[in-house]
Order: sequence, then C-alpha cells, then structure tokens
Amino acid sequence: MAELTFAPGVREQLAAIGRVRWQLFVNSLRTLRGRLELVSHIFITLGFAAGGIGGLVASGAGAYYVVSSGKTEWLAVILWPIFLFWQLFPVVATAFTENFDTSNLLRFPLSYSSFALIRIVYGSLEPATMLSSLWLLGVAVGVAMASPSLFPWAALALLLFAAVNILLARMVFSWVERWLAQRRTREILGVLFLLFIISFQLIGPLMSRYGRSAHPDLRQFAERVLPIQRLLPPGTAASAVASAAGGDYAIAAGTLAILGIYGAAIFCFLHLRLRAQFHGENLSEAPALAESSGERGIVRAGWSLPGIPGSVAAIFEKEIRYLSRSGPMLFTLIMPVFILFIFRLTPSTSHRSSGSFLGGSSDMAFPIGAAYSLLILTNMVYNNFGPEGAGVQVYFTAPVPIRSVMLAKNLAHSTILALEMVLVWIGASLIYKPPALATTLATLSGILFALPVNLTVGNLLSISSPKKIDYGTFGRQRASNTTVFASFGVQIVVVGLAAITLMAARSFDRIWLATVVFLIFAVVAWIVYATVLKGIDHMAFGHREELIAELTRTS
Amino acid sequence: MTSAAIATQGLTRRFGALTAVEDVNLRVAPGQFFGFLGPNGAGKSTTIKMLTGLLAPTAGRIEILGLDLAANSIEVKRQIGVVPEGMALFGRLTGAEYLNFVGRMYGLDRETAAKRAAELLDFMQLADQPKKLVTDYSHGMQKKLALAAAVIHGPKILFLDEPFEGVDAIASGTLKAMLQSMISRGATIFLTSHVLEIVERLCSHLAIIHRGRLVAQGSLEELRAGVEAQAAAALPSDGGQAAAVAAPGEKLTLEEIFLRIVGGARPADQELSWLS
Repeated sequence: MAELTFAPGVREQLAAIGRVRWQLFVNSLRTLRGRLELVSHIFITLGFAAGGIGGLVASGAGAYYVVSSGKTEWLAVILWPIFLFWQLFPVVATAFTENFDTSNLLRFPLSYSSFALIRIVYGSLEPATMLSSLWLLGVAVGVAMASPSLFPWAALALLLFAAVNILLARMVFSWVERWLAQRRTREILGVLFLLFIISFQLIGPLMSRYGRSAHPDLRQFAERVLPIQRLLPPGTAASAVASAAGGDYAIAAGTLAILGIYGAAIFCFLHLRLRAQFHGENLSEAPALAESSGERGIVRAGWSLPGIPGSVAAIFEKEIRYLSRSGPMLFTLIMPVFILFIFRLTPSTSHRSSGSFLGGSSDMAFPIGAAYSLLILTNMVYNNFGPEGAGVQVYFTAPVPIRSVMLAKNLAHSTILALEMVLVWIGASLIYKPPALATTLATLSGILFALPVNLTVGNLLSISSPKKIDYGTFGRQRASNTTVFASFGVQIVVVGLAAITLMAARSFDRIWLATVVFLIFAVVAWIVYATVLKGIDHMAFGHREELIAELTRTS
Repeated sequence: MTSAAIATQGLTRRFGALTAVEDVNLRVAPGQFFGFLGPNGAGKSTTIKMLTGLLAPTAGRIEILGLDLAANSIEVKRQIGVVPEGMALFGRLTGAEYLNFVGRMYGLDRETAAKRAAELLDFMQLADQPKKLVTDYSHGMQKKLALAAAVIHGPKILFLDEPFEGVDAIASGTLKAMLQSMISRGATIFLTSHVLEIVERLCSHLAIIHRGRLVAQGSLEELRAGVEAQAAAALPSDGGQAAAVAAPGEKLTLEEIFLRIVGGARPADQELSWLS
C-alpha cells in the first residue's frame, strides 16, 4: 500500500472549503435565478453596509467622546448594544442567517480541531458578526484618535470581546439547535418561556412602586447597573480599557484575563456540542419516537376539514404536522411576543412615556406585534415549497391542480397567523394592557389586507425563486436572497401603508377610520389574490423544472 | 397511437444546446413489464420525467392509456403511479402519515386511505415503528415506502425510476413480489434500472436508449436475436462460427446484449496505476 500522507494542514482544508464555496457561488451565476440572487445579494449587502458604516462612524464618535472626556468606563454604553445585536439578531432575523451545514465534511480526514475551526469560522460569516465587527473597529479607531497610547489596550480588549461574541453566538446556536431538536427539551423551553412571559406582568407594578420613589433617570439607572454589568463581557472589556486609561495596568491585565476566562468557558460549552457533532451526532427525534410503542397496524384517518376537499385537507394537515415537528420554526413563532418584551425593557426617550418604549403608546403594542408576526411568516409564505425537498414532485405527479396545493398552504399559514394574533394579543395584554376594541379591530382589518398581499406575492415567489430549507435545523430556514429582498419590499410598502393609515386615524382620534380604509384595501387585495391563484397552475408548470431541480438537489 | 398503455411519438427534449432525448418512439402494451435501459446520462430519467408530467417535452407527443398527456394531465395522473428519482418523500412525516397524505392527494377518502396505508405498511414490513419519521428510515425502507405510496390508489400504470438502487436483498424481494403481483393483475410497469440481472428476470419487454436515441426495443428474445444476427452479419467469412457470441447451448445475458448494443467497457488495468 502506498504511503498515506493524509492529515493535510488546517490552513489547506480551510482554503479548500473557501475555494469550493467560491466555486459554488460562481457556478450559481450560470442561471438567471442565480444572477438575480446576486443582484438581490448586492442590494441586501448595500443595506447592511449602510448600517455598518453608519454604526462604525457613530460608535467611533461615541468612543472618541467618552475617552476624550475622561469617561472611558462609559465605553460599556457602546459595547452593550453591540453585544445584544450580535447575539439577538441571528435569532430574531433568521431570514438573514444561514447556518453552514458542515455535517458532510465528516467523511474527509478532518481532525477535530480543523472541524471546530471550520464550524466557528464559516458559521461566523453572517451579517451580525460582520456589522458588529465593523462597529468594534469604529470603537477602536475612536479610542485611538482620542488617546493613541490607549490603542493597544483597546485593540486587545476589543479583539477578546469579539472572540467572546463569536464563540457565544456559535454556542447559543448549537445548544438551542440541540434543545429544539427533541420534544422533551422543546417542551421544557416552552414552559420556561411561558413563565418568562408571565413574570413580565410584575414589571409594571414593580416599576410603579419603586421607580417613582427613586426617580430613576438614565444616569441613576446606569449608576445602579454599572457594578453588575462590569462583570459581564461588554462591561469587562470597557473596564479593561478604563483601567488602562487610569494607569492601572495590572488591573487592566487582570480584567482582560477575566474576559479571556469568559471566552474559555464559553468555548468549553461549545466544545461539548462540536465534539458531539464531530462524532456524527444525529439530532433527529427518531430514537425517542421509536421507543414509544405506538399502535402497530393501525393507521388513523387523516384530518377532515368541513367544506374543504380531501386533497386540500391532506396538504393542510401535512403543513401543520411539519411545523409542529420543527422546533426552530416554533421558536421563531414566539418571537413577536419576545419583541414586545424587548420593547417593554427598552427605556423610553420620550418624556411622556411611563419608563419603557411604547409606554406612552401601549395601545400600539398589538399592531406592532401583529406586523412583526407577518414578518416572521415571511420564511414560510414566500418559500412555501422550500421544506418539501424531493417531496415537491408529488404535487406534479398527483392529480391535483397546483392552485389547490397553494390554497392549502395559504390556509395553513393563515391559520398560523391567526394563532399568532391571539398569542400577540394575549402578550400585549399581559405586558402592557389589553388593546382597545377599536385598535384590535383596526389591526385585524389591517391584517386582512396585508395577508392576501403577502400570500399573493409569496405564491409567485415560491414558484419562481424557491430554495430548499431545513425546518429541523436552527438557522437553516433562510429563503433565497431574491425572496428576502422582494418580501422586504412588500413588507415595507404594506406595513408602511398600514402604519400611516393607523397613525393618521389615531391623530384624529378616529381609529375606526383606519378599520374602514383597511377593509376597502382588503377587498381589493383578496380579489387580486383570487385572480393570481386562478392562474398559478400555468406559472407552476412553466417553472416546474427549476422548482424540482432546486428542491431535489442534494447539496 | 391507440391501444398502447404508453406511446410516444417523436419525443424530444433539449436543454439549451444539449439534446437529452431525441425523437423517441416508444410503445408499451397493456400488462407489460417494461424495462427501459441505458448507460448513465443516456436520457432514461429525462424520458420518465416527461412520461409522468415532471418535465415538459420540447417536441413530440405522449399518450398514456390512449389519453394525450398534455391535454389530459389530471386524468392521466389519476391512473398512474410514480416513484421518481429522489423518491419524492416528505421526511418529517411518519410512514403512515405520508401514505395517508398521498392517498388523499389521489382522491381516496380518509377511511380508505388509512386502511390501504395500514395494509401497505404491513406488506412492506414497515409497520414495526409507526412513529418513526421518514427521514430516519434506511434507504431500503424509503424505497419501499415510495413504492407503497405509488400504488396506494391502485394505478393502472406504474413508473419506477431506479427502484432497486441501494436496496438490500430482503427489501428487493419485497419490491419484486409486489411488482409481480401487480403484473399478474393486469397493471403495466415501466421501469428503469441499472441492475440488469433484475431487469432480465422481471421484464418481458425492453427498450435501450443511448445518447438520447432509442437504439433497441422489443422482447428480450427479439433483442438477443437482433444482436446475434448483427454479429453474424459482421463476420460472414467463417460462416458465422466466430460470431457465436455465447458458448454453445448458452444464451446471451441481458448484460452482454446491453454492452454489445451501447458499446463495450474500457479496460481499467492500465489506467489509474496509483490505485492500490
């Protein structure tokens, strides 16, 4: 046997993966769809670049100000938002997150260290890391301009801070993926989240009881929170720079060491997941399900929906079953309520408000939650064949018109939206106060308008720009760039129109006017929806080859 | 083009400059177990996709059970069953849910779909783990499930694209038993496969496609006779003795017939010398 000179260097393996991803990208440009993807990608990148550069300038100016005015410790005020964005954006905006599937790398002679490095490096190539890194660069430049001698310390602290963030984001992703993959842990997470929701009811009374007596303005609040936040990565990084600025180099080095310990501890938790993946872990529910005996030989009849044809009911049932088995998708569906929590915790800049964002306009919580619910449905509605994989062929070989398939999918997604509305209404009631009847009606009529617009465009994009997605893996529910771009355009127009109408009606104190306007829009939108649905078969058969090819491909 | 279960006329499919299938005229009689063979990339899957409505022909006409596929696609689809390339399964359903789903897509009522699903799962030996998701099935189990789904509505014609690929002997036996029982009840089966031994054992009629063109069609005996006649005609000087392509008393196997029709294999012993 010839000499085996395997185990090529990590650098070569990383480069090889980089090259293959580049080749995949270049090859994707051979098709019109691929080129459209590139155009959409450029627009999305420009949007992010604007945010990145804007943030870079703002964080740079902020850092310059706090350092030059001798309040270096206040760097934490800049680092905290960056930290929260870095960790929350990939979870809240899954449409922009793509989790690189490295499971097929396991067949190559890859050492564990190479595998871990590849997971971390390529998993980090996503907008949150890019933007946050740019903003940290801004901070570093701001510090350097204000105090050049402080730059080495700032650079070291920010590098460590970035490493902690990258590792933490990967760790959270991999553990959430693990927990959401199995029914029992998913249920535990669900209960914890429910308790979390209920606990927020206490915030209002607590704020009114203690908040008023303490007159908490931003400074007092910060002074109280500072000692606690110093213990956490953003505060630790800021403290290290502040200690160096004050000439306490030993304390600065010690604080940096604490940041390093954070990184090491997070890596240990990440390592547990990566090691399991490296050893071929299968996150399927199969073992748990297989153990439960079930009733051999008995097959329950499918669902029956009154007045709905059997084939449509069958697809509806399949859609709901798919969703109910997708922890990541279920997790995404509770995000609208989560957003309301974030608003509740965000301090208001308005003097009118009662402490939190939306505090003075709490009746807007339900409309905002409803609008976010629509946004969350984007991944499903705008790429509704995406989770089918090779199964999509059934729709073209079965004696069922594609319009029936679309109708069933739309029905399922509308049902989910209706459930979301109920959840958001309850959430808004618990976190703020029960929305007024007029606001509730205006919001529901607004949804009646927005829903058919989204379904119509979603149906068209699902056929013309499909992308295979995996409902079972966290972060792999991302639609194509064209779809993301187009859906954002639709959302901006629809939500913008609805917001203007609602605000105008609210300023005249005639919320019911918004209801009337929305209902008129809704009638037009549903007519357009029905017309497009009627002609969808022709379009679907025109695109069936690309649709099937995209969804059946294995890589 | 009448009285055939499957008939095509001038069937052609181009992908840009590439002609994948060119002027194919197939004729499959009702009740035939028909094997459609060809080397990799010859156009088998493209043809079967066109016959089942998964791909539009660039030119030509397809008739299934006397109905024009383009004009009567829904009616034709009611009468055929398909196991396409990639099997068309829904990974996050259980086997029973998937069969139920497909049954109802083909117009079965809830009770009938559930009853047939239970029978099929039992026949295919898939009933042991009713809560297991399809994505967790082994490849052989998935093949069996795909075949069960293709027959749940009792089709008159069954199209199978590589049904025996990656299937072990036990699963293969189950699949063959089901297919033979369908043939004995009058169904027509159109099958593509690279496993020539199985095709030889199962199929009564064959067609071979090579570089997009149909190069042979008929019963196995007709194909064998054709190859032998061709060999004899190629070497008339020795009275046809050298052309005896099979040993005396032995018949040419389908593999030998296939290789003679589409061209031989290249010897690998002088290539890839670095292989151990």
